[in-house]
Amino acid sequence: METQPDLAQLVKDCSPILRFGLLDDWLGLARANSLWPLTFGLACCAIEMMAAGASRFDLARFGAEVFRPSPRQADVMIVAGTINKKMAPAVKTLYDQMLEPKWVIAMGNCAISGGPFVFPGQYAVVEGVDKLFPVDVFIPGCPPRPEALIEGILQLEEKLTGKRRWPKVKPE
Amino acid sequence: MDDTSCGELIYLFAFGLAGLGFALGPFAVVYLLAPRQTRQTAHKTRQAIECGMDPIGDAWIRYSAVYYLYALIFVAFAVDVLYLIPVALVYNEPRFGMRDFAELALFVGILSLVIVYAWRKGIFEWKRNPTSPNS
Repeated sequence: METQPDLAQLVKDCSPILRFGLLDDWLGLARANSLWPLTFGLACCAIEMMAAGASRFDLARFGAEVFRPSPRQADVMIVAGTINKKMAPAVKTLYDQMLEPKWVIAMGNCAISGGPFVFPGQYAVVEGVDKLFPVDVFIPGCPPRPEALIEGILQLEEKLTGKRRWPKVKPE
Repeated sequence: MDDTSCGELIYLFAFGLAGLGFALGPFAVVYLLAPRQTRQTAHKTRQAIECGMDPIGDAWIRYSAVYYLYALIFVAFAVDVLYLIPVALVYNEPRFGMRDFAELALFVGILSLVIVYAWRKGIFEWKRNPTSPNS
Protein backbone atom coordinates (compact mmCIF):
# COMPACT_ATOMS: atom_id res chain seq x y z
CA MET A 1 0.00 0.00 0.00
CA GLU A 2 1.37 3.39 -0.96
CA THR A 3 2.07 5.94 1.75
CA GLN A 4 -0.55 8.56 2.49
CA PRO A 5 0.67 12.10 1.69
CA ASP A 6 0.60 14.76 4.41
CA LEU A 7 -3.03 15.81 4.78
CA ALA A 8 -2.33 19.35 6.04
CA GLN A 9 -0.03 20.00 3.07
CA LEU A 10 -2.70 18.68 0.68
CA VAL A 11 -5.37 21.00 2.08
CA LYS A 12 -2.94 23.92 1.88
CA ASP A 13 -2.13 23.13 -1.76
CA CYS A 14 -5.81 23.02 -2.69
CA SER A 15 -6.97 26.14 -0.84
CA PRO A 16 -7.64 29.27 -2.92
CA ILE A 17 -5.33 32.29 -3.06
CA LEU A 18 -7.84 34.54 -1.27
CA ARG A 19 -10.18 33.45 1.48
CA PHE A 20 -12.84 35.47 3.27
CA GLY A 21 -14.44 34.12 6.42
CA LEU A 22 -17.93 35.39 5.69
CA LEU A 23 -17.76 34.23 2.06
CA ASP A 24 -16.60 30.80 3.22
CA ASP A 25 -19.60 30.62 5.57
CA TRP A 26 -21.98 31.53 2.77
CA LEU A 27 -20.35 29.10 0.35
CA GLY A 28 -20.47 26.36 2.97
CA LEU A 29 -24.18 26.98 3.46
CA ALA A 30 -24.78 26.90 -0.29
CA ARG A 31 -22.75 23.73 -0.71
CA ALA A 32 -24.45 22.02 2.22
CA ASN A 33 -27.86 22.75 0.71
CA SER A 34 -26.96 21.26 -2.66
CA LEU A 35 -24.56 18.36 -2.23
CA TRP A 36 -24.45 16.63 -5.59
CA PRO A 37 -23.44 12.98 -5.26
CA LEU A 38 -21.70 11.01 -7.95
CA THR A 39 -23.87 8.36 -9.63
CA PHE A 40 -21.73 5.54 -8.53
CA GLY A 41 -22.61 2.25 -6.87
CA LEU A 42 -20.22 -0.61 -6.30
CA ALA A 43 -22.36 -3.28 -4.64
CA CYS A 44 -25.54 -3.91 -2.67
CA CYS A 45 -25.26 -0.67 -0.63
CA ALA A 46 -26.00 1.12 -3.90
CA ILE A 47 -29.50 -0.39 -3.81
CA GLU A 48 -30.09 1.36 -0.49
CA MET A 49 -28.58 4.52 -2.00
CA MET A 50 -31.09 4.31 -4.88
CA ALA A 51 -33.88 3.79 -2.37
CA ALA A 52 -32.70 6.89 -0.51
CA GLY A 53 -32.88 8.86 -3.75
CA ALA A 54 -36.32 7.54 -4.72
CA SER A 55 -39.66 8.91 -3.61
CA ARG A 56 -40.19 6.97 -0.37
CA PHE A 57 -37.12 8.33 1.41
CA ASP A 58 -36.71 11.32 -0.91
CA LEU A 59 -33.17 12.58 -0.56
CA ALA A 60 -34.38 15.65 -2.49
CA ARG A 61 -35.74 17.04 0.78
CA PHE A 62 -32.12 17.65 1.78
CA GLY A 63 -30.90 18.89 -1.59
CA ALA A 64 -28.71 15.89 -2.31
CA GLU A 65 -30.81 14.18 -4.98
CA VAL A 66 -28.97 15.47 -8.04
CA PHE A 67 -26.86 12.41 -8.78
CA ARG A 68 -24.37 13.54 -11.39
CA PRO A 69 -23.10 11.07 -13.98
CA SER A 70 -19.85 12.98 -14.40
CA PRO A 71 -17.30 13.26 -11.59
CA ARG A 72 -16.47 16.77 -12.78
CA GLN A 73 -19.91 17.96 -11.69
CA ALA A 74 -20.17 16.00 -8.45
CA ASP A 75 -19.42 17.26 -4.94
CA VAL A 76 -19.61 14.12 -2.87
CA MET A 77 -18.67 10.56 -3.70
CA ILE A 78 -20.81 8.02 -1.88
CA VAL A 79 -18.70 4.87 -1.91
CA ALA A 80 -21.58 2.40 -1.73
CA GLY A 81 -20.21 -1.10 -1.64
CA THR A 82 -17.22 -3.38 -1.76
CA ILE A 83 -14.11 -2.00 -3.44
CA ASN A 84 -12.34 -4.78 -5.23
CA LYS A 85 -8.67 -4.37 -5.93
CA LYS A 86 -9.56 -4.57 -9.59
CA MET A 87 -12.04 -1.71 -9.19
CA ALA A 88 -9.81 0.46 -7.01
CA PRO A 89 -7.94 2.20 -9.90
CA ALA A 90 -11.27 3.24 -11.42
CA VAL A 91 -12.50 4.59 -8.07
CA LYS A 92 -9.26 6.50 -7.66
CA THR A 93 -9.58 7.95 -11.16
CA LEU A 94 -13.11 9.13 -10.38
CA TYR A 95 -11.87 10.70 -7.15
CA ASP A 96 -9.12 12.49 -9.07
CA GLN A 97 -11.60 13.81 -11.59
CA MET A 98 -13.88 15.32 -8.97
CA LEU A 99 -13.12 18.99 -8.45
CA GLU A 100 -12.44 20.68 -5.15
CA PRO A 101 -14.16 21.01 -2.79
CA LYS A 102 -14.99 17.32 -2.73
CA TRP A 103 -16.11 14.98 0.00
CA VAL A 104 -16.32 11.24 0.40
CA ILE A 105 -18.92 9.23 2.28
CA ALA A 106 -17.97 5.63 3.03
CA MET A 107 -21.33 3.83 3.05
CA GLY A 108 -21.53 0.40 4.60
CA ASN A 109 -19.10 -1.93 6.29
CA CYS A 110 -17.30 -2.90 3.07
CA ALA A 111 -16.39 0.70 2.30
CA ILE A 112 -15.41 1.28 5.93
CA SER A 113 -13.21 -1.72 6.56
CA GLY A 114 -13.81 -4.46 4.01
CA GLY A 115 -16.77 -5.80 5.97
CA PRO A 116 -17.38 -9.53 5.71
CA PHE A 117 -14.61 -9.93 3.15
CA VAL A 118 -11.79 -9.58 5.68
CA PHE A 119 -10.23 -12.92 6.51
CA PRO A 120 -6.68 -14.24 6.60
CA GLY A 121 -5.30 -14.62 3.12
CA GLN A 122 -7.92 -12.58 1.28
CA TYR A 123 -6.43 -10.99 -1.80
CA ALA A 124 -9.28 -9.35 -3.69
CA VAL A 125 -10.84 -6.60 -1.60
CA VAL A 126 -9.51 -3.21 -0.49
CA GLU A 127 -10.11 -3.17 3.26
CA GLY A 128 -11.73 0.22 3.57
CA VAL A 129 -11.93 3.12 1.12
CA ASP A 130 -9.80 5.24 3.49
CA LYS A 131 -6.88 3.16 2.24
CA LEU A 132 -7.36 4.96 -1.11
CA PHE A 133 -8.28 8.53 -0.20
CA PRO A 134 -9.50 10.57 2.80
CA VAL A 135 -13.08 9.93 3.95
CA ASP A 136 -15.33 12.51 5.62
CA VAL A 137 -18.29 10.48 6.87
CA PHE A 138 -18.52 6.79 7.71
CA ILE A 139 -21.96 5.18 7.71
CA PRO A 140 -21.97 1.75 9.38
CA GLY A 141 -24.41 -0.96 8.37
CA CYS A 142 -24.58 -3.98 6.11
CA PRO A 143 -26.15 -2.34 4.24
CA PRO A 144 -27.13 0.88 6.04
CA ARG A 145 -30.78 1.81 5.75
CA PRO A 146 -31.66 4.82 3.58
CA GLU A 147 -32.31 6.82 6.74
CA ALA A 148 -28.72 6.13 7.75
CA LEU A 149 -27.46 7.51 4.43
CA ILE A 150 -29.63 10.59 4.89
CA GLU A 151 -28.18 10.99 8.38
CA GLY A 152 -24.69 10.66 6.90
CA ILE A 153 -25.42 13.45 4.44
CA LEU A 154 -26.76 15.57 7.29
CA GLN A 155 -23.52 14.89 9.18
CA LEU A 156 -21.60 16.07 6.13
CA GLU A 157 -23.73 19.22 6.03
CA GLU A 158 -22.86 19.72 9.68
CA LYS A 159 -19.21 19.42 8.77
CA LEU A 160 -19.60 22.08 6.06
CA THR A 161 -21.64 24.65 7.95
CA GLY A 162 -20.66 23.93 11.54
CA LYS A 163 -24.27 23.64 12.65
CA ARG A 164 -27.11 21.20 12.18
CA ARG A 165 -30.00 22.23 10.01
CA TRP A 166 -32.37 19.45 11.05
CA PRO A 167 -33.35 18.07 14.44
CA LYS A 168 -31.58 14.94 15.53
CA VAL A 169 -33.75 11.85 15.78
CA LYS A 170 -33.34 9.93 19.02
CA PRO A 171 -33.03 6.18 18.49
CA GLU A 172 -35.95 4.35 20.08
CA MET B 1 -15.09 69.13 -30.50
CA ASP B 2 -17.80 70.63 -28.31
CA ASP B 3 -18.61 69.63 -24.76
CA THR B 4 -21.67 67.48 -25.57
CA SER B 5 -19.92 65.08 -27.92
CA CYS B 6 -16.96 64.88 -25.55
CA GLY B 7 -19.30 63.86 -22.71
CA GLU B 8 -20.89 61.23 -24.97
CA LEU B 9 -17.45 59.86 -25.76
CA ILE B 10 -16.76 59.57 -22.03
CA TYR B 11 -20.02 57.64 -21.63
CA LEU B 12 -19.02 55.37 -24.47
CA PHE B 13 -15.61 54.80 -22.94
CA ALA B 14 -17.15 54.04 -19.54
CA PHE B 15 -19.57 51.55 -21.06
CA GLY B 16 -16.76 49.88 -22.95
CA LEU B 17 -14.69 49.65 -19.78
CA ALA B 18 -17.64 48.23 -17.83
CA GLY B 19 -18.23 45.65 -20.55
CA LEU B 20 -14.58 44.64 -20.47
CA GLY B 21 -14.71 44.34 -16.68
CA PHE B 22 -17.88 42.29 -16.92
CA ALA B 23 -16.14 39.90 -19.32
CA LEU B 24 -12.73 39.69 -17.64
CA GLY B 25 -13.77 40.18 -14.00
CA PRO B 26 -15.07 36.63 -13.49
CA PHE B 27 -11.72 35.25 -14.66
CA ALA B 28 -9.91 37.30 -12.01
CA VAL B 29 -12.44 36.38 -9.29
CA VAL B 30 -12.21 32.71 -10.18
CA TYR B 31 -8.42 32.85 -10.20
CA LEU B 32 -8.39 34.31 -6.70
CA LEU B 33 -11.23 32.37 -5.08
CA ALA B 34 -11.18 28.94 -6.75
CA PRO B 35 -9.27 26.00 -5.28
CA ARG B 36 -5.93 25.83 -7.02
CA GLN B 37 -5.92 22.09 -7.57
CA THR B 38 -7.82 18.98 -6.69
CA ARG B 39 -6.57 16.24 -4.38
CA GLN B 40 -4.91 13.43 -6.28
CA THR B 41 -4.57 9.71 -5.84
CA ALA B 42 -3.54 8.53 -9.29
CA HIS B 43 -2.97 11.86 -11.13
CA LYS B 44 -5.73 11.22 -13.64
CA THR B 45 -7.68 14.48 -13.34
CA ARG B 46 -7.04 15.31 -16.98
CA GLN B 47 -8.14 11.94 -18.32
CA ALA B 48 -10.93 12.75 -20.76
CA ILE B 49 -13.02 9.63 -20.13
CA GLU B 50 -15.21 10.12 -17.06
CA CYS B 51 -16.15 6.53 -16.24
CA GLY B 52 -12.93 5.65 -14.42
CA MET B 53 -11.69 3.19 -17.02
CA ASP B 54 -8.54 3.89 -18.98
CA PRO B 55 -9.40 4.70 -22.58
CA ILE B 56 -8.14 2.31 -25.25
CA GLY B 57 -6.15 4.28 -27.81
CA ASP B 58 -6.41 7.93 -28.73
CA ALA B 59 -9.46 9.98 -29.70
CA TRP B 60 -7.44 11.56 -32.54
CA ILE B 61 -7.71 8.77 -35.06
CA ARG B 62 -8.23 8.71 -38.83
CA TYR B 63 -11.93 8.44 -39.39
CA SER B 64 -13.54 6.85 -42.42
CA ALA B 65 -15.90 9.32 -44.11
CA VAL B 66 -17.93 6.66 -45.92
CA TYR B 67 -20.61 9.10 -47.09
CA TYR B 68 -18.36 11.07 -49.44
CA LEU B 69 -19.50 8.87 -52.34
CA TYR B 70 -23.12 9.85 -51.72
CA ALA B 71 -22.05 13.50 -51.62
CA LEU B 72 -20.30 13.02 -54.98
CA ILE B 73 -23.40 11.40 -56.49
CA PHE B 74 -25.50 14.26 -55.17
CA VAL B 75 -23.20 16.70 -56.96
CA ALA B 76 -23.32 14.67 -60.17
CA PHE B 77 -27.09 14.28 -60.36
CA ALA B 78 -28.70 17.12 -58.41
CA VAL B 79 -26.28 20.05 -58.29
CA ASP B 80 -25.37 19.38 -61.90
CA VAL B 81 -28.99 19.76 -62.99
CA LEU B 82 -29.40 22.81 -60.81
CA TYR B 83 -26.63 24.60 -62.71
CA LEU B 84 -28.07 23.50 -66.04
CA ILE B 85 -31.44 25.23 -65.49
CA PRO B 86 -30.15 28.67 -66.64
CA VAL B 87 -28.66 26.96 -69.69
CA ALA B 88 -32.02 25.39 -70.47
CA LEU B 89 -33.66 28.84 -70.34
CA VAL B 90 -31.41 30.27 -73.08
CA TYR B 91 -30.79 27.09 -75.07
CA ASN B 92 -33.24 27.85 -77.90
CA GLU B 93 -32.31 31.49 -78.31
CA PRO B 94 -30.18 32.51 -81.30
CA ARG B 95 -27.42 34.05 -79.13
CA PHE B 96 -26.63 30.57 -77.79
CA GLY B 97 -23.58 29.86 -79.90
CA MET B 98 -21.06 27.13 -80.52
CA ARG B 99 -18.73 28.42 -77.79
CA ASP B 100 -21.51 28.23 -75.20
CA PHE B 101 -22.26 24.69 -76.23
CA ALA B 102 -18.60 23.75 -75.83
CA GLU B 103 -18.59 25.23 -72.34
CA LEU B 104 -21.73 23.27 -71.48
CA ALA B 105 -20.19 20.06 -72.79
CA LEU B 106 -17.03 20.71 -70.75
CA PHE B 107 -19.07 21.29 -67.56
CA VAL B 108 -21.22 18.20 -67.98
CA GLY B 109 -18.21 16.15 -69.14
CA ILE B 110 -16.16 16.91 -66.06
CA LEU B 111 -19.10 16.21 -63.79
CA SER B 112 -19.83 12.90 -65.51
CA LEU B 113 -16.36 11.77 -64.46
CA VAL B 114 -17.88 11.68 -60.96
CA ILE B 115 -20.38 9.09 -62.15
CA VAL B 116 -17.59 7.07 -63.72
CA TYR B 117 -15.63 7.24 -60.47
CA ALA B 118 -18.62 6.14 -58.39
CA TRP B 119 -19.33 3.39 -60.89
CA ARG B 120 -15.80 2.05 -60.50
CA LYS B 121 -16.23 2.20 -56.71
CA GLY B 122 -19.26 -0.09 -57.10
CA ILE B 123 -21.86 2.23 -55.65
CA PHE B 124 -24.48 1.36 -58.27
CA GLU B 125 -24.38 -2.35 -57.51
CA TRP B 126 -27.08 -3.65 -55.19
CA LYS B 127 -25.54 -6.45 -53.15
CA ARG B 128 -27.03 -8.34 -50.29
CA ASN B 129 -25.02 -8.35 -47.10
CA PRO B 130 -23.68 -11.92 -46.84
CA THR B 131 -23.51 -11.65 -43.02
CA SER B 132 -27.13 -10.52 -42.70
CA PRO B 133 -29.51 -13.19 -41.35
CA ASN B 134 -32.16 -12.18 -43.92
CA SER B 135 -30.00 -12.93 -46.96
